[in-house]
Amino acid sequence: MQTNLIDAIKDTAEGREADAILRTCVHCGFCTATCPTYQLLGDELDGPRGRIYLIKQMLEGQPVSEKTQLHLDRCLTCRSCETTCPSGVKYHRLLDIGRKFLNERVPRPLGQRVVRGLLQEALPRPWIFRPAVAAGQMLRPLLPQALADKVPTAAPGQSQGWPEKSAHPRRMLALAGCVQPGLAPNTNAATARLLDRLGITLFEAPEAGCCGALRFHLDAQEAALADMRRNVDAWWPHVESTQGPGVEAIVMTASGCGAHVKEYGLLLRHDPAYAAKAERISALTKDVSEILAAEAERLKPLLAAKAHPPLKLAFHSPCTLQHGQKIKGVVEELLSAAGCELAPVADPHLCCGSAGTYSILQPDLSRQLRDNKLAALSAGAPKLIVTANIGCQTHLQSGSALPVRHWVEIIEERI
Amino acid sequence: MDAVLKEWADRVRDAAERQGKLRIRGGGSKDFYGGAPAGETFDTAGFRGIVAYEPTELVVVARAGTPLAELEAALAEQGQCLPFEPPHFGYPAVLGATAGSGATVGGMVAAGLSGPRRATVGAVRDYVLGVRLIDGRGELLAFGGQVMKNVAGYDVPRLMAGSLGTLGLIAEVSLKVLPLPVAVRTLRFSIDEATALSRLNEWGGRPLPLAASVWHEGALTVRLAGARAAIEAAQAALGGEVVADDVAAAFWQSVREQTHPFFAGSEPLWRLSLASTTPPMGLGPQLIEWGGALRWLRGDQGAERMRAVAAQAGGHATLFRGSEALKAAAGAFQPLPPALLQIHRRLKAAFDPQGVFNPGRMYPDF
Amino acid sequence: MAFVNDVRFAADKRAILARLRAVLPPGALLADEEELRPYECDGLTAYRALPLLVALPQTEAEVQAVLRACHDLKVPVVPRGAATGLSGGAMPHEDGVVLSLARFRKILRIDPLARTAIVQPGVRNLAVSEAAAPFGLYYAPDPSSQIACTIGGNVAENSGGVHCLKYGLTVHNVLKVRGFTVEGEAVEFGAAGLDAAGLDLLAVINGSEGLLAVITEVTVKLTPKPELAQVVLAYFDDVQKAGNAVADVIAAGIIPGGLEMMDKPATHAVEPYVKAGYDLEAEAVLLCESDGTPAEVAEEIERMKAVLEKSGATSLVVSRDEAERLRFWAGRKAAFPAVGRITPDYLCMDGTIPRKRLAEMLEAIADLSAKYGLRCANVFHAGDGNLHPLIMYDANQPGELERATAFGAEILELSVRLGGTVTGEHGVGVEKIDVMAAQFTAAEIEAFHRLKAAFDEKGLLNPGKGVPTLARCREYLQTRAGIAPSSVSSDAAPRF
Repeated sequence: MQTNLIDAIKDTAEGREADAILRTCVHCGFCTATCPTYQLLGDELDGPRGRIYLIKQMLEGQPVSEKTQLHLDRCLTCRSCETTCPSGVKYHRLLDIGRKFLNERVPRPLGQRVVRGLLQEALPRPWIFRPAVAAGQMLRPLLPQALADKVPTAAPGQSQGWPEKSAHPRRMLALAGCVQPGLAPNTNAATARLLDRLGITLFEAPEAGCCGALRFHLDAQEAALADMRRNVDAWWPHVESTQGPGVEAIVMTASGCGAHVKEYGLLLRHDPAYAAKAERISALTKDVSEILAAEAERLKPLLAAKAHPPLKLAFHSPCTLQHGQKIKGVVEELLSAAGCELAPVADPHLCCGSAGTYSILQPDLSRQLRDNKLAALSAGAPKLIVTANIGCQTHLQSGSALPVRHWVEIIEERI
Repeated sequence: MDAVLKEWADRVRDAAERQGKLRIRGGGSKDFYGGAPAGETFDTAGFRGIVAYEPTELVVVARAGTPLAELEAALAEQGQCLPFEPPHFGYPAVLGATAGSGATVGGMVAAGLSGPRRATVGAVRDYVLGVRLIDGRGELLAFGGQVMKNVAGYDVPRLMAGSLGTLGLIAEVSLKVLPLPVAVRTLRFSIDEATALSRLNEWGGRPLPLAASVWHEGALTVRLAGARAAIEAAQAALGGEVVADDVAAAFWQSVREQTHPFFAGSEPLWRLSLASTTPPMGLGPQLIEWGGALRWLRGDQGAERMRAVAAQAGGHATLFRGSEALKAAAGAFQPLPPALLQIHRRLKAAFDPQGVFNPGRMYPDF
Repeated sequence: MAFVNDVRFAADKRAILARLRAVLPPGALLADEEELRPYECDGLTAYRALPLLVALPQTEAEVQAVLRACHDLKVPVVPRGAATGLSGGAMPHEDGVVLSLARFRKILRIDPLARTAIVQPGVRNLAVSEAAAPFGLYYAPDPSSQIACTIGGNVAENSGGVHCLKYGLTVHNVLKVRGFTVEGEAVEFGAAGLDAAGLDLLAVINGSEGLLAVITEVTVKLTPKPELAQVVLAYFDDVQKAGNAVADVIAAGIIPGGLEMMDKPATHAVEPYVKAGYDLEAEAVLLCESDGTPAEVAEEIERMKAVLEKSGATSLVVSRDEAERLRFWAGRKAAFPAVGRITPDYLCMDGTIPRKRLAEMLEAIADLSAKYGLRCANVFHAGDGNLHPLIMYDANQPGELERATAFGAEILELSVRLGGTVTGEHGVGVEKIDVMAAQFTAAEIEAFHRLKAAFDEKGLLNPGKGVPTLARCREYLQTRAGIAPSSVSSDAAPRF
């Protein structure tokens, strides 16, 4: 597509990146077909191609207002469009750049700033968030619907805890994350127990925290970069260990975090102090499904050793897994190997509407997407829904009578 | 421009100038169809001949006056055909006659009628790729061409199919043709109308090589056409009794040409084109074609009733054959809703502003 | 490139805005430049125009109200579906309203027994087949953009696809269209049966590029899914040999389910995206499909292989399963946008010629590519003789678009001279409006205008598209006569 970026933008690193991305787009419109918001709203401005155009206009120096902001805000960043795009447009990078420029040009009204500020500050901090969940359970009747939906109804699923003693020579790091320990502590614990059976010791680095994705997508890209640097610092001693070999991998049990940590190298490439380390971290980062698929030879006999009643479940592949990390069919194969029957799910490429803080910031769209997704997931009458990201898990659970769990818990229960 | 076409154009211009009316006529084989022909007879039979035929391109170009039988013979020589099996209706009234029909290629397009195989392969209009015509101003115009896909300008060639010569004088047409089916087999089932209709629709949803169907008086006759393997498989799946090839060929010919006994006699013949799933209507003696989508009815059940029934079933009723008096009273074709009628009138004026061609042949007012 | 629309209207934006505000719900009307800009073009970005307004109705009553308001105030209306078209058919009019049908996205009814689907015009082509799949049925026309393009747009363009040699174009697969005239009168073309009373207006509506009526509901035919389909990939070390092989297949009496061709630049563009496993060394690949019963397919595939081998194919690969077949096709279907990986911009031509002239045309394209110094990838519906040369250029380089346009015009003019047409399935739109003069005489162009006026007296529906004004024709013929004196037919040269 023809571009004519204003000089002040064209001469920056981000401007050049944006220009290159814009020029790969040929405006074919294939992306609109798989964009969840375009499918709901039917307005060019609420699909990837229209948003690309809005960003292009802005970078070409055209006047920009809260109208552009509205349509960029409505984007889930699910990256379904990237999977569909035959031209290879790196949409999410263009959107990140576009949102940053837009933020500098169009200030948000006070109310929006406060909400975004609170989310930025509270969610990434487990010491605020965990008590808040408990408080939220008490205060549920007083909360706005969008927030109330997010608070788990009961105490988080009982965790059996981490393996007591695990000291294998093979070691991997896990990211505790920000909201997951409060909402689904069993996910990482189950992963640790499972890997322990496979001869791998999993551990967390206490200094690590939120991966940065939350703030990165809440107009706080600088604060997000700080989160990312902190994690690099926290993990580096285990990667370049002075006592023995470093960790084999950094395991992500939330695909949202995984997709983001895999981009540390890209996002910190202009920081001389961190570029090389970040690239190494990203290279080491693996979704738990990738780890298990690589260990399949050892895992399968364990699964075969125990008889299990048949279990029909529906798998929702998070966007950050299928579109962000381009991992497809891997979880499904593991679940099948564990004797589970997978219910067919229509439109598996569509987002569930969770999308980080989207469910709080765009409650109407989010709820429509969730309800559509739950209808598709339950169409095959499964006993259980499983997914691979804490955000999707709590979001889907908020509208479903069926239990929604992380798929790794199911695998772990079956060995 | 061909000398003949120049002369034709002059005649049309002359007619337009003096407010004359022209009755376009090829072989006259479909004079009975539509409103009564009126005006000075304009004979197209003299402009005949196949202009171009390249079997590898699957396209044939023929002049309007070319006898349909001549065209079909030329195609058959190359193992090809007009898949939509246009009726000639001009054969001498001898059962099984295959020569001497007056039907012409121009008349075939103008009448727009298709035969037994239509439901699965498409109609005349689906095979018309291009036309050269003379409009009511005496201009020779060419639309479409010799290629399968062509969206340059409006699809005037297809508009000509079934226009009964009301928009222009068709001079030459190019048609898509197809290879003859490798194998054909006819099966017969003794079943009632309701069963036949439900089976036909159910079979239509399966990948079967169906090529025609007729239900009449408790017998469903189905023709399969295609690759041998596909026919074997279909026969195994459908069952029924195999009809001998020569008997079957004569049967399909009699349906196509309406020489079947059902069509004999002078009672009005109604043609109802409607949704194939329309349940039995109980309106009298019937012959059902096109998988249920075409129902021929004999008798005088009243035009209003026929048209109401057809409209109810999402279609239309044509008084296909009937006395001039009945046609004059009821009109040959289902009346149009006002918005469509308005477009028809305007289109007629666009192509034939003086109303030279075939007045009253389609609707009384143009 | 600035497209100068020579059909203009004196529009009063404030007046039409007020009228439309009164009839549309909030969020269904866009009026600020910031919001209008992304609507300025469709899949053809080389031509752009900023509309006065964009209307996004959701009901037939709203469509009718918009049309009535526009008709009263003499404001042009440009209907728009998914805007994936490649001829600029949905490019806005600078004095007009874009009427988006994107919110008409319901599949109203699938009738498996009657084998029909009643859908709103904003339903995606592929979504119809997906909805029909549980019944063993599908919607046959499959344009390459089928994932995104809508049924309304398909009807407007009479879209083809990669299987239309055997299964027909849109016009062959639509039973009925419901819509509104420019005056806002409800109309239905076609019927639930196989034909309708009166003139075959349905045939005219198909491919009318939004110039005759606005479509709000379409009844399509559904086709039973063949038991089996397999595709043969035939590789050639020479593009012209591949072109000749196409004619050989048809000459052998085979009507393949699909018969498509891609040249080397095209396979190189798509392979990184689809990973179909195409042989990237070959100069051209033919995709030749057979469908039917397993026995039928086995027999036909053998016949196809024999013909293709005799025509000089260097190697043949037959799809082993449905997933592989779909992957082979995915490469072909994504070919246009995938070319975006190797060039910032492209123009896609759509000329159709008799099959036996394919090799000749390919040679001419190679020469023109050298003449204009622009690369060209060739992707086409070989079985239909429908060519899609993708002329690659960089719109940021001054003069390249103009060169690409001239290159394209020469291909289209040659298509006409070879006995073909300037557009097989993409429509005239704005892109090919001038070159229409190479195909039609002034009298024929006038006949088109009169046909249009029969539906739309004031010329308000999608003005300036599809059929050029006579002034444009004259200008084009004069200009081209100066450049390529022999290339333009200026007389009523018989085309068949």
